[in-house]
Amino acid sequence: MKKTLAIILSMLILTGALAGCTGESTPTETVTLKVWGSQEDQAMLATMVEEFKAANPKVKYDITFGVVSEADAKTKVLEDPAAAADVFAFANDQINDLVNAGALYEITRNKDKISNENMQGSIEAATINGKLYAYPETADNGYFMYYDKSVFSENDVKSLDKMLEVAQSKDKKIFMDVSNGWYIASFFLGAGGKLTVGEDGKQDCDFNNENGVKAGEAIKAFTAHPAFITGDDAVLKGAMGGKIAAGVSGTWNAEDLKSILKDNYAAAKLPTFTLGNEQVQMGSFAGYKLVGINSHTQWPVEAMKLGEWLTNEVNQITRFKVRAMGPSNIKAAASDEVKANIALAALAQQNQYATSQKDVLGSYWLPAEAFGTAMEAKDYSKTIKEQLDAMVAQIES
Amino acid sequence: MKNAKTRTTFTTVLTYFVLIVLSILWLMPIVWLVITSFRAEPGAWTEYILPKSYTLKNYTKLFTNTELFNYPRWFMNTLVVAIFTCIITTVLNLMTSYTLSRLRFKGRKAMLNVGLILGMFPGFMSMIAIYFLLKAMGLSQSLVALVLVYSGGAGLSYYIAKGFFDTIPRSLDEAAKIDGATQNDIFWKIILPLSKPIVIYTVLMAFMAPWVDFIFVSVIMKDNYNNYTIALGLYQMLTRENIYQYFTQFCAGAVLISIPITLLFIKMQKYYVEGVTAGGVKG
Amino acid sequence: MKYIDYVTLPWYRKIIVKLQQGIKNFGKKFVTFFVLLWKGIVSALKGLGRGVKNYFSMFAKGDVPTRLSYFIMGSGCLLRGQIVRGIGFLSLQLFYIVYMFSFGWGQIKLFPTLGIATKKEIWDEVNQIYRYVQGDNSMLILLFSVLTIAITVAIITVYFFNIRMAYNNQQMLESGKKLNTYGDDINSFLDKRLHVTFLSPPVLGVIIFTVLPLIFMILIAFTNYDKNHQPPGSLFTWVGLENFKNMFGGNALLSTTFKGILGWTLIWAFFATFSNYILGMLLALLINKKGIQLKKMWRTIFVTTIAVPQFVTLLLMSRLLADEGAVNVLLGYFGIQPVRFLTDALLAKITVIIVNIWVGVPYTMLITSGILMNIPAELYESARIDGAGPFKTFTKITLPYMMFVTTPYLITQFVANINNFNVIYLLSGGGPLSLDYYQAGKTDLLVTWLYKLTVNQQDYNLASTIGILIFVLSAVISLIVYNSSSSVKKEDTFQ
Repeated sequence: MKKTLAIILSMLILTGALAGCTGESTPTETVTLKVWGSQEDQAMLATMVEEFKAANPKVKYDITFGVVSEADAKTKVLEDPAAAADVFAFANDQINDLVNAGALYEITRNKDKISNENMQGSIEAATINGKLYAYPETADNGYFMYYDKSVFSENDVKSLDKMLEVAQSKDKKIFMDVSNGWYIASFFLGAGGKLTVGEDGKQDCDFNNENGVKAGEAIKAFTAHPAFITGDDAVLKGAMGGKIAAGVSGTWNAEDLKSILKDNYAAAKLPTFTLGNEQVQMGSFAGYKLVGINSHTQWPVEAMKLGEWLTNEVNQITRFKVRAMGPSNIKAAASDEVKANIALAALAQQNQYATSQKDVLGSYWLPAEAFGTAMEAKDYSKTIKEQLDAMVAQIES
Repeated sequence: MKNAKTRTTFTTVLTYFVLIVLSILWLMPIVWLVITSFRAEPGAWTEYILPKSYTLKNYTKLFTNTELFNYPRWFMNTLVVAIFTCIITTVLNLMTSYTLSRLRFKGRKAMLNVGLILGMFPGFMSMIAIYFLLKAMGLSQSLVALVLVYSGGAGLSYYIAKGFFDTIPRSLDEAAKIDGATQNDIFWKIILPLSKPIVIYTVLMAFMAPWVDFIFVSVIMKDNYNNYTIALGLYQMLTRENIYQYFTQFCAGAVLISIPITLLFIKMQKYYVEGVTAGGVKG
Repeated sequence: MKYIDYVTLPWYRKIIVKLQQGIKNFGKKFVTFFVLLWKGIVSALKGLGRGVKNYFSMFAKGDVPTRLSYFIMGSGCLLRGQIVRGIGFLSLQLFYIVYMFSFGWGQIKLFPTLGIATKKEIWDEVNQIYRYVQGDNSMLILLFSVLTIAITVAIITVYFFNIRMAYNNQQMLESGKKLNTYGDDINSFLDKRLHVTFLSPPVLGVIIFTVLPLIFMILIAFTNYDKNHQPPGSLFTWVGLENFKNMFGGNALLSTTFKGILGWTLIWAFFATFSNYILGMLLALLINKKGIQLKKMWRTIFVTTIAVPQFVTLLLMSRLLADEGAVNVLLGYFGIQPVRFLTDALLAKITVIIVNIWVGVPYTMLITSGILMNIPAELYESARIDGAGPFKTFTKITLPYMMFVTTPYLITQFVANINNFNVIYLLSGGGPLSLDYYQAGKTDLLVTWLYKLTVNQQDYNLASTIGILIFVLSAVISLIVYNSSSSVKKEDTFQ
C-alpha cells in the first residue's frame, strides 16, 4: 500500500517536473545555479560563466559562486547535499564516497562526446559501474620528480640508485614524503601491487605479497639512505636549490619551484628502483579533477550544460593559461603550449605508468601512512612482512 | 645576620635568573612568529633560522590585496560576532550563576549537577545537528547563526561566576529586602555593582572565543566566504596551493589579532585574577 | 581530622592519610552517588504516579472551565478573566497542532525505521537525463524526530501545568480569594519566581544547542550510520548495542585501539593537569616573591602567550618541532643529531605534555597567584621558626594547602584535559600513526580519534559510541568529586 502510494506520488512529481520543462525548449523561469570552485579560481570561473550566459542568450540565468576547493568538496557536499552547489569541482578520489552518498547526478547528456574528447584515464576516473558521474576537468593531480639541473644530468634521474649516489657524493638530499599513502604507493604500484574494490564494497589490497614485501624492502633501503629526506611541501620548497636537489611532488608546486630554481628547473617521470634484483619503473597515482552535478539540483539540464561548458576544450586551455592546470581534454593536452610546460610534460610521461586513484577507498590512507612513518622512523622492531600484513589487514577492514 | 642577607641576595638573583630564562622560553615562539611575519622570503619553512631580509609587505598586503583573502572583512565579521556573543553570553551566564547561587528553588541541586555534566560531551559531535537545526530556523550560513552557536550554551559555564556570587555576604540581600527591594532589584542594584571582576572575567572569555574557533565556523559557514571569521580565513592560507606564498602573511595576520587581545588582557589582568580567584577555587 | 592537625603531620604520614581518605571516600562516594541516582529515579517515578492520579481526580472535582482545559488549553484562565495567560496556553496548543500536522508527524512516524524510501530514478527521454525522486534521509528523520519528541514533551508539561492552574484558580475562587492579575504575574516573575525568568533564556539555549544535539548523537551510537550507510544516498537503521559490542572486544583491532587510547588519554590528563598546576604555582610564587621588582611586567610576559590564538601558536610549534623544523636546524648548528620530537612515539608523548605546559602555565599562574596570597601568614611564620627551607615550606605548606583548597578546580581541569582537542590535534595530529591502532596514532586522545573517525571515515556510529564512553567517564568522575568536595558542601558558609 505504502509502496503504491510512493510510486503514484513520484509519478505526480515527475509529471510536474516534466511540465516545467518540456523537450529541449528553454525554461521560461530564471534558472538559479550555484557553482563551487577554489578561491584561486573564482575570477576565472566568473569569466567562464559570463561567456556561458552569452552563449545561451535565451535563458535567464542567476548563477552564484561559493568558495569550496576541490579538496574540501566531498566534506562540504556530504555535510548538507541540499545546500551544496549545483555544479562543483572535486578531486577524483572522492567519487566513491560521493556516489555512495547519492550526491552525484549521473551524466547522460552527450556522454559519448565527452568520453571521446577526454583522455581515457580521466573518463575511467569519473565512471563507476559503467555510469559516468562527472566531467573531467584536469588531468594533473599526479606526481613526478622535480630536480636541479646543476646537480643531476638527464641520465642520472632515470634511476633512483644513481640519483642517491650522485646526491650523496655532492652532499645533497632527495626529497620524498614517504609517510603519505599517496606517494608511498609508487613503490608498491611499481612492483605490480593492486588496490581494488571488493564485492562487499571494501578495499582489497595485495601489497603484502612477495613483490609487495620486496617493494617494502626497497622503501626501507631508500629511507635509510643518508641522501633521503622527508617532510611536507614546505620543506621541499624551503630547501630546494639548497640542501635538496630533487623531490617528488606535483604540478601545484611547479610555479613556486620554477621561481626558486630558475634556470636549473627541470622535471622528469619518476625513476626506476631496485625490486629484488631487477630495476622496475616506479608507479604512481593518476589523479584528475572532475566537475560534478549535484543530484539535488533543481535544474539538472541547465546544470549539466554549465558543467559541460566549464570543462570544454576552450575552457581547459584557459585553465591551463591562467592557473597552469593540465588539461584532460585530448585536443587541449596536445596543444604546443601545454606540451612545452616542463612539469606537465613530466607528468604526461609518468602517467603511462600510473594507476587510477578511483578504486582507492578512505581506509587505505592512514594505514599506508603508518607504514611510511615506521620506515622513516627506522622502526624495524617488526619485519617488513609483518608490518605489511598489519597494514593490509587494516586497509581491508 | 650578614650571612642571611647574602643568602637573600643570592636567592633574589637566582629568582631573577630563573624568571629571565623562563621568559625567554615562553616568548621564543611568539618572537619567532613576529620575525616570520616580517620575513621577505616566502615559504613555510627555511633552511636557516633568521630571515635573510625583512619587509612590511606581509602586513600591508593583508589590507590591500584582499581579492583572495579578505582580511579586513573577516576581521570586522569576527569583531561583530565577538561583541554580540560577548554581550549575550555575559547576560545569560550572569543570570544563570546568580540564580543558581543566591535563589533557592525546587530542582536547583539537580540543575547544578545536570549543568555540570552536560558540557562534557565532545562538542563537535553535535555540530552537524546544530547546523541542521539552525537551517530549519532559516539561519544557516549567517553571522547571527554564529553568534547563537557561540552564546547558546552560555548557561552551562556558570561554574566560576557562581563561585564568585557565593562569596558575597547574604546579609546584603536581607537588608535590601527589608527596604522593599525585589529579587530582580537586588541583582541589578546590589550584586552587579559588586561584581566587576567576574563581569570582566566573563566578558573577556566570551570575547575571545570567536577569534580562535575554526571548526564550528567552517560547518556553519560552508561556502559563504564573505562571512568567514578570521581564524577560518587564516586557515585558508595554509592549503597546499597557498601555503608557500601566504605563510608569512598568515603570521602577520595572527600577530594583528593578538595585539588587541594582549592589550585587553594586560588592562584587565587584575580583574581576571580577582574574578577567577574568588569564583573558581575556594575552600 | 582538623586541617591544622593534618598540617603538622610529617609529609609521608600526610600522603598516607590523604590516600586512605581518598580511597575510603571515593568508595563511599561511588556508592552514595548511585544510591542518590536511584533515589532520584524512584522519586521521579513516584511523582509521575501522583501526577496521573491527580489528573483524574482534578477532572472529577473540576467545574466547567477546569474540565474544558483538559481539551482546550487555557480555557481555565480565559473563562476566568486571565486573558494573557489564557491566550498564551491556547496559542501553544494551536502551534503544536499545526506543527504536528505540517511537519512533526511526518518525521516521527518514520522514527522506528529511520526511513524506507530510497532514491528513485526515472528516465526522461526528451532531455536525455534521469529524473531523481529523492528518498528518505535517515539523518534528518532522526534529528527532527528528536526535535518533535522534545517539543511534545514540552507541550505535555505545559498541558499538565495548564490543568493544575485551572484547578488552582477554581479552588481560589471557591475559597473567595482574588485571582492573580497580569500585573501580579509580572511582579512575581521579578521577585519570588525570578529564577524562572532568569533561567528560561539560558535553559532554552542549552536545550537547543546542547541537549537536542546530544540526544541525537547518543542515538546515533545505536545505528549503523557509517561509511557504507551515508545519507541521503543510502538509509541507515537501528542496530541496538552492536557498536558497543565491537568496541569491547567484538572487533579485536577496535578494542585494542580503544584500550590503548583510553590508557594514554588518562595518562595524558593526569600529567597535563598536574604539570600545569604545580609549575604554574611555582611560577606564581617566583613572581610574587618578596624583593622581586616589576611583578606586573613578568606577569605580562607570560600572559602574552595566552593572547596569541592557540591554533596559531600550536601550528607554529608543530612546525618548530618537526623533524626538519627550526629547533632541529638550531641543534644541527651545534652538531646534534635531529631529535624526532613528534615522530617517535615516546618522545611525541613527552613533547605534547611539555608544549601543553607552555600553553597552560600562564593560566594557572594567574589563577593561583590570587589564592597563594590568601594562605594564612601564620603557617609560613611557624614554618620559618621551625627552620624550614623554601623547598620544605612548599611541599609542607603551600602544596597541601593549595590541593586542599582547589580540588574542584583540579577536577574540572582533569576532565577538560580528557577532552583537550586543540593541543593534540594541532600539535601532533595524533601522530605518529601506528599500525597497531585502527585509524589512530600514538598520541591520539579518545576525542581526536573520534574526530578522525568522523572526518576521514564517516564512521559516525563509532564516533558516537566513543563520545558516550568519554561522557560517562568524565561525568561520573566529576559528579562524584564535585558533590563531595568541600566547596559544594560549604556552599552557604560564606553567605
